[in-house]
Amino acid sequence: MYSPALYGVISRIITHTELAEDVLQETFVKIWQSAEYYDNTKGRLFTWMMNIARNLSIDKLRSKDFKNSLKNQDIENNVSFVDEQNKVTFNPDVLGIKQLVENLKPDLQAVLDLVYYKGFTHVEAAEKLDLPLGTVKTRIRLAIIELRRSFN
Amino acid sequence: MSVENLKAYIESGVLELYVLGDLSPQEALQVQEIAIKHQEVREELAAIESAMEKFAMQNAIQPSASVETKLFEKLGISLDEQTEPVLIPSLPQETKIVQLEPNDGKIKTLRYALVACVALLVISTAALFITYSKLTDAHDQIASLNLDKQKFAGIVSKLEYSNQGLSNLVEMNDSKEWATIKMQGQAISPQSKMNVYWNKKNKSVLINYLAMDLPKADAQHEYQLWAMVNGKPVSLGVFGKTDSTSKEALLKMQTIQEAQAFAVTLEPMGGSVNPTMEKLTVMGGV
Repeated sequence: MYSPALYGVISRIITHTELAEDVLQETFVKIWQSAEYYDNTKGRLFTWMMNIARNLSIDKLRSKDFKNSLKNQDIENNVSFVDEQNKVTFNPDVLGIKQLVENLKPDLQAVLDLVYYKGFTHVEAAEKLDLPLGTVKTRIRLAIIELRRSFN
Repeated sequence: MSVENLKAYIESGVLELYVLGDLSPQEALQVQEIAIKHQEVREELAAIESAMEKFAMQNAIQPSASVETKLFEKLGISLDEQTEPVLIPSLPQETKIVQLEPNDGKIKTLRYALVACVALLVISTAALFITYSKLTDAHDQIASLNLDKQKFAGIVSKLEYSNQGLSNLVEMNDSKEWATIKMQGQAISPQSKMNVYWNKKNKSVLINYLAMDLPKADAQHEYQLWAMVNGKPVSLGVFGKTDSTSKEALLKMQTIQEAQAFAVTLEPMGGSVNPTMEKLTVMGGV
């Protein structure tokens, strides 16, 4: 039952469908193997699973495999690949969530985009956006508070 | 941590980073420790987690079916090899064994216990009846034995009494100090006879209940012993009936210095001053 939600998390970081599916598979294998390390006093099961998915996704994003696969894109796919890289087009699966986040103020949206969708740490996001760490943290918090409000 | 500090801590955004997994292990540990101590932090974390979960759920994407198939293939192998044979088949068997057998055993045990109790009750009741009848028998035996004992005690005392009297008689017969005066039955009772023993030395007079054969006196009368001194009767005292139960067979009468004859008359209770000659029972000369 968590599979679509986790795939949603993964495919936001890794837009490449096949790789995202590989990561989803790896995520479930890892969840299965390390289920005994899950401690329900430290947080919800989904949070734990989501972090496994995110970590694996980020690892994949930064691995040589991924970088090589980017270089080895088929010539036919070049247009959409370039579009993806430049945020010209959206992965249609990801469309809904993007819209939801777009209701946020632009500065909150930029931070959440990096941290949640691109798998940036808050330190990396601060560097990228050229903002103080504290501000990034506050903006992440405000963005999540907005999300909380939208669900209540 | 004070209330203001706690508020500042929550607002710093560190809890969001914790939920996003964007903290170093040390920082994450610190968050956990603070969460254990403070309810507010726990609640805030739960709210963030809940929001992130809902966020992810709402924006879930169904992966292609091939992923699921591949995944189940991969997990299924490990499932079949490790978990399934151990957990799933063993569980129902275990519950069956745990639930059914002890209950059966319990009921069986209880039934046996009930049967044993009833048997014990029957045996106990039978034993009680046997014991009761034996006890009654024993009581009867004790009663009859007591009766026998009393009888024997009576016989023994009687024997002792007669033995004493007889031995006294023998002694007195052997002794030269004692004179035995035999009195013969008179007109009213010719069969009667009685002995009087008179000590020549100290003049004491004895009679022996065993050495007398007098008719039974009625309740209003008793016998009185007389000594005839120079033709005059002198009372030597009264004595009881021949069947007297007094322990001494010998009875000491009043002493008399001299006497020519002894006689016994039947007198009213307490004796008389002068003998009633019509009731002279026995008499004998010295």
